[in-house]
Amino acid sequence: MRTLEDLNKLRDKLQAEISIRERKQEITVNVSMGTCGIAAGARETMKTLIEEISSKNIKDIALTQTGCLGACQQEPLVQIQKGGEKVTYINVDQEKARQIVNRHLLEGKVIEQWTKPEE
Amino acid sequence: MEELSYHILDLARNSIEAGAANLEINVIEDPAKNLLKFEVKDDGRGIGENALNKITDPFYTTKAAKKIGLGIPLLSEAVQACGGSLKIEPLSPNGTQVTASFPYDHMDRAPLGDLPSTISVLLAAGHCFNLIYRHRHVRKNFVFNTKEIRAQLGKVPLTTPAVLNWLQEYLDSSIRNLKRRRNN
Repeated sequence: MRTLEDLNKLRDKLQAEISIRERKQEITVNVSMGTCGIAAGARETMKTLIEEISSKNIKDIALTQTGCLGACQQEPLVQIQKGGEKVTYINVDQEKARQIVNRHLLEGKVIEQWTKPEE
Repeated sequence: MEELSYHILDLARNSIEAGAANLEINVIEDPAKNLLKFEVKDDGRGIGENALNKITDPFYTTKAAKKIGLGIPLLSEAVQACGGSLKIEPLSPNGTQVTASFPYDHMDRAPLGDLPSTISVLLAAGHCFNLIYRHRHVRKNFVFNTKEIRAQLGKVPLTTPAVLNWLQEYLDSSIRNLKRRRNN
C-alpha cells in the first residue's frame, strides 16, 4: 500500500539528483492525445513511456502531450525532439514505446522503420 | 472506446485544451442505487449556446484542422447503449461540466477501466492546471488534489517520470483500498 508519506522519500532522492546535476540539453517526448490517439491506445503508450523512462532512470526528459495532429490513422504518434531535430514515430504500441526508450533515448539511435516517412 | 476511463481522459484533455486552470473529476460508484456516474468539470473557455446543441453531432468541431469531432458522440453512444444519461452544461462565469450516468448493473455498460492510468497520464500534460479527483465507492471516499502533491514535492516537478510512476502506483493502491470490503 502506497501512502502520501512515502512520497517524501522519493522527493528527497530526486531533489538531491536535481542539485548535483548540471543542466543538459533537454529532450522532449510528445504523445498526441486527441480522441483518435486515445482510441488507438495513446494512454497505454504514454504510460509505458513513463514507466520505462523512470525505471531506466533517464534524466532531462520532458514528457508532453498535444491534441490530434491530423494523422489519425497513424495514431498513437510519438514525437521526439532534441534541439532542432524532430523524429515522429507512428503506430506506437507498448512494445514499440519500450524500444524507443531503450534505443532512441538511451542509445541515441533513431529506429528508422517506425518513423513517419517524409511527404 | 472499451473503457469509461478513456472517455474521462478524452473529456479532461478537452478541458486542458480549452485552457482550464482547474479541473475536477468525480467518480461515484453506488451499486445499491444501481448508479455509476462521472463528472468532468473545468473552468476553461466553455462552450457557446450555439455549439451546445451541435456537440453530439460528429460532423461538428471547433478545431480548425479537423472535419470531425468524435469525443462527445462516442461518449453519447456509450451512454445510450445502456440507457444512461449525458448532460453537458455551461458553468458560470466560465467552464463546462459534463456528467454521464449509467445503470451500474447493465450488461452493455462499459467497465470503468483503469483510472490510475488516466489520471497519471493526464498529469504528464504539464504544470498548467490543478486537478482534484474524487472517487466514491458506496460510502468510502478517496480525494486526490494536485495542490497538496505539488506542495509536498517542493522543487521537484510533478511531471518527473519517476513521480508520475509513483503516483500511478499510489492511485492504484488507493482505489483498490476503496473497493476492499471492510473486515468486520
